[in-house]
Amino acid sequence: MRYQKSITSVAIIVLIILFLLSLFPKKSTAQLTARANHDHIQIDFFYHGSTVGVSGISDPGVDLVIKLTSAEGRQLLQKKGEVAGLLWMNVGELELEHTPGVYFLHSTKSIEDILSRDEMDKYGIGYQALKRHIEMTPAVSEEEKTKWFNEFIKFKESLNLYDVSSGKISLREKNGGQDYYILTEWPHQAPPGKYLVTVYAIKDKKVIETATADVLVEQTGMVKTFADMAKNKGALYGIISIAAALGAGFSVGMIFRKSGGAH
Amino acid sequence: MYLYLPVALTSIAIFLPIGLGLLVGLLSGLFGVGGGFLLTPLLIMFGIPPTVAAATDSNQIVAASTSGTYAHWKVGNVDFKMGLYLLVGGFLGGLIGVQAIKILKAMGNADFVIKITYVLMLGIVGGYMFVESLSSMRKKKVEEVKVKKESKIEAFLKSLPFQTHFEKSGVTHSITVPIFLGCLVGILAAIMGVGGGFLMVPVMFYVLRMPMHVIVGTSLFQILFTCIEVTFLQSYTNHTVDFTLAVLLLIGSTIGAQIGTVFGRKLKGEQLKILLAAIVLVVTVKMIFELTMAPSLLLSLKGGH
Repeated sequence: MRYQKSITSVAIIVLIILFLLSLFPKKSTAQLTARANHDHIQIDFFYHGSTVGVSGISDPGVDLVIKLTSAEGRQLLQKKGEVAGLLWMNVGELELEHTPGVYFLHSTKSIEDILSRDEMDKYGIGYQALKRHIEMTPAVSEEEKTKWFNEFIKFKESLNLYDVSSGKISLREKNGGQDYYILTEWPHQAPPGKYLVTVYAIKDKKVIETATADVLVEQTGMVKTFADMAKNKGALYGIISIAAALGAGFSVGMIFRKSGGAH
Repeated sequence: MYLYLPVALTSIAIFLPIGLGLLVGLLSGLFGVGGGFLLTPLLIMFGIPPTVAAATDSNQIVAASTSGTYAHWKVGNVDFKMGLYLLVGGFLGGLIGVQAIKILKAMGNADFVIKITYVLMLGIVGGYMFVESLSSMRKKKVEEVKVKKESKIEAFLKSLPFQTHFEKSGVTHSITVPIFLGCLVGILAAIMGVGGGFLMVPVMFYVLRMPMHVIVGTSLFQILFTCIEVTFLQSYTNHTVDFTLAVLLLIGSTIGAQIGTVFGRKLKGEQLKILLAAIVLVVTVKMIFELTMAPSLLLSLKGGH
């Protein structure tokens, strides 16, 4: 009797545990991994952009979103508008807070089809989530905010610093898991800095797992020397720039004079 | 072949800035203008941030105007005395212009005033030079009538104190005249954010009555010093001079300035004037288009002309 009671108690406890576990998202059988194959991009004088490959392993059958962003910051821009119904000119400034300078988003399917709005907002996935996240100054109506946010995206995409795409991630079932891979163009316009790659595994319109990797973009050699000098030793840099320009001007002048060009 | 620009934070095909430099240097050598009104918008169009484009432009003008001044000096076409007085005036005008910009910005209509001033000045100067040069090329009589018409102004200028003879230009003026005119151009140049060569050249010709070839050399001499000051201030204050880009531009512009000087010597003063007027008018038309056509992007980075 006693023995039967304890078996019943254990069974109840196991059932409770199983019930509680079912309330949480299922743990993946293959842990999500992310790796950037080109995680240290060096900028030298002949740099003209690069490529970044992101790969890893996920559970089979899950959808994936790969987000590559710079740290959030402040973007200060000039607005153009129509004055007197005739002339287009600068009509003020637009300040955007909590905005990444670089934002690339790639997904296996359209993000609207695989994620709920709440999840997009929670993880900052997609332009609409970004729109709801950023702060715009001067404060404007919702309609105006949409207009200027769309202009901001257009502006950033024209500089190759923002991009959203779907269906470009390669998936391959392997050993009960799923290998994924994407090769993205890294634009030369992206400034030096530390970038974060975040991979989201998605099931039933929810993010069930995330993995991250870093990409470091760094100036090296003479490029770094010039950039540092321009920033930290402005006076010396200015004098060198002027001296070089004067020297070049005189040198070319003398070369042309010797060859009889200026006569 | 591309080269990375450490301050502009972008890379550029190297033949592009060299080619642009050559074109602008050619204009410098021919007409005595810095060419900032042409080069800065082109650099922005090719992806250089506006603040870096404007500052680096000044740096390359130092090289182009050194090359041009040297070439003109060697053939005796630089009036250093006149250039110095204009420079003093230009410096004072720059200071006043910067304050004027501050007041306009505080009033909230700086951009409107700047753009309208730019278009009006370019249009008036370009249009007047074009018509006047065309007329004087066609018939000499017009010039004689003009001389008679302007004699009152000349009489007024001669009545001013501190008269001095400018040997190289072959004119006599009160020193207050070039200082005042330099100041006026300096104010306008500061408001418009340009070197002011395209304004100074007509002023030297129509008011100071200097010969066209001496004007070109003297204007370049004055621009050289203005741009040295601007380059230093931009480097020191804003850290926006991209030396790598400046080097690429000046490779083209120093050579272009020499070629321009050679061509310029083969052209008559009237021909030089009409060519400059045509370029100024083309830039005016381009600006009017930009002002009246809806832009493809309604946002841009801060800074620039």
